[in-house]
Amino acid sequence: MVALPQLDADDIPFSAARIDVDVFDIMRAKNLARWPTGAEVDIEEAAAFHKSLPKHKRLGWVMRQADAEGRCLTQPRGGFGTLELQKELMICLDQQGQADIVPTTTDSYTRNEQWENAARGIEESKKAGRSMLNGYPMVNYGPKVTRQLIEAIDKPAIVLSGTSMPKLTCEIGFAAGYSGYLGSGLAYTSSYTKSLSIEQGIRNYQYLDRLAAMYSDHGVELHRRQPGFLTGTNIPPCIAILTCIIDALLAAGQGVKNYGLELGQTMHLVQDAAAIKMARVLTQEYLQQQGYHDVFTPVTSLHWMGAWPHDEAQCEALVAYGGTLAAIGGAVSVTTKSSHEAFGIPTPEANAAGLRSTRMAVYLARQIRLDALPEFETECDMIAKEVRPIMDKILEMGDGDVAIGTIHACEAGVMDIPWSPSNYMKSRVMPARDIDGYLRMFDCGDMPMDPDVMEFHHERVRKRAEHENVSFDHELAVASVYELSENLEKLIPFPWAEK
Amino acid sequence: MTALTKQQRASITLVTGVIGADTHIVGNRILSMALEKEGFNIVTLGALTPAEDFIKAAIETAADAILVSSLYGQGELDCRGFRDMCIEAGLDDIVLYVGGNLVVGKQAWEEVETRFTDMGFDRAFPPGTRTPDVVEKLDTDFQSKVSGTA
Repeated sequence: MVALPQLDADDIPFSAARIDVDVFDIMRAKNLARWPTGAEVDIEEAAAFHKSLPKHKRLGWVMRQADAEGRCLTQPRGGFGTLELQKELMICLDQQGQADIVPTTTDSYTRNEQWENAARGIEESKKAGRSMLNGYPMVNYGPKVTRQLIEAIDKPAIVLSGTSMPKLTCEIGFAAGYSGYLGSGLAYTSSYTKSLSIEQGIRNYQYLDRLAAMYSDHGVELHRRQPGFLTGTNIPPCIAILTCIIDALLAAGQGVKNYGLELGQTMHLVQDAAAIKMARVLTQEYLQQQGYHDVFTPVTSLHWMGAWPHDEAQCEALVAYGGTLAAIGGAVSVTTKSSHEAFGIPTPEANAAGLRSTRMAVYLARQIRLDALPEFETECDMIAKEVRPIMDKILEMGDGDVAIGTIHACEAGVMDIPWSPSNYMKSRVMPARDIDGYLRMFDCGDMPMDPDVMEFHHERVRKRAEHENVSFDHELAVASVYELSENLEKLIPFPWAEK
Repeated sequence: MTALTKQQRASITLVTGVIGADTHIVGNRILSMALEKEGFNIVTLGALTPAEDFIKAAIETAADAILVSSLYGQGELDCRGFRDMCIEAGLDDIVLYVGGNLVVGKQAWEEVETRFTDMGFDRAFPPGTRTPDVVEKLDTDFQSKVSGTA
């Protein structure tokens, strides 16, 4: 195909097809010109740097190796507003926290491409002597300076940037030497934006995935990862897994071969183990069906993403148990939180402590698995029964094209997620916890769930309502949002106390 | 202090939203749903709302109060000058509440509260505030407004 210099790359027809290399070159040139540090990006030089790193500092290799050895790696989140603070943090997480994967979370101005505001945040942070930003402003610092962070640690590094607009940050991050990048078109656009269309969000991530594939062409296998935790608020496994499948198909379409799937923990041992297993099984099923036979899809399990208790002791239980859930569930890595979660961003020390609690729990989980447990098998079957009809419908709505099908499905509510801030999602699906602590759908909105499936969900949630003597309505969904953040006196009081 | 009736509350218009580049919508949506159920007239702006949009909405709806949520730590930057912007827009007497995880990291609440009241917010609410507390404070702060019309 000949180069089309007149073309605005965003005008190419929207589909799941791989972006043509000539078109991609035009897109990149335009993208990199948006902020001065973009000029520092040189993919040849960056690829050479990646190849100069030892294997254990390359996340693509590390994830494959961990999977082959049956390990559950630990990774926290973390980002501060200046290079100096960020470096201290990453060294602390690497050494004190013994993290297997070291993160860099970007700040929310960067995520929303407000680089002038981020510049102000850097100055304010320097003046105040504390971070005024909730992450590291990677674009402002640029790849050359940011590479100091990669050099300061002895682990692989991943960029965590909750956004639908990753195009410049991913260029900077990969060029700096980050070998992992979290984020995807459907998951983040439906969970982190209000007025950006799902189509635009998917386009932006097709750019990122295409860039990752371009690094593969240069002999560097990066680890891409999908944030199936979504809005972080009571996401039933089937919904998370649907987004895993969709985003994995979209990434595979751009040529990505190393693609992680993330699942927020439901905090139910059996349900989480079933979700971890079925995320991989079902994603592979659809990848194979669509002709992608060599995509590696390890699962990452995430500590509780909903509201946390204010009591640090209660938090420590969620942290350690989260390690247990991830390891017994067979996740290849676990993303950790800390006892400071209810108050926002943890100190480096608290963050490191969360990592160590988790690590100890992973050790204690040994190779225990639930595979033969009947309840586990029931949940696995249930997830498959929930996911397949919806996924098939989505593909049908796009005439086989997952990108187009997803847009139509979101419009129609066929694909839906709970508590979404996006104007492009119906957000009618409403989860609630059932009598036994499983996350179920109180209301599936317009998702074409099998009637038998919904009968099962309703029956379980209704049992809870009866048990607690409350009515079977939306209040159950709201109560479920707060449940795990309630204090112990409410959750489990001494049963025989005199009134 | 006595609680206002739903009828009295219906005359009070509240603008709610999550300020800045923040997407944490769940608590804000639950708060908005609860306030509406308690009888207040609610204008919901949702997540990712710039400061200017709060003020624009307050003018358009002749609101009595703006309830600003922030969960992601950068609220301190986003809320700077909010009161001044209100005054510039002619909303001199509008009641301003702010609540959530307002700063980066775990800091002493008294200091955080002072920082935000110094910025011109009438009340600041700590992490984990439940909706009945907000209703109670609204009832207190709007006693005088409704006493003439009750």
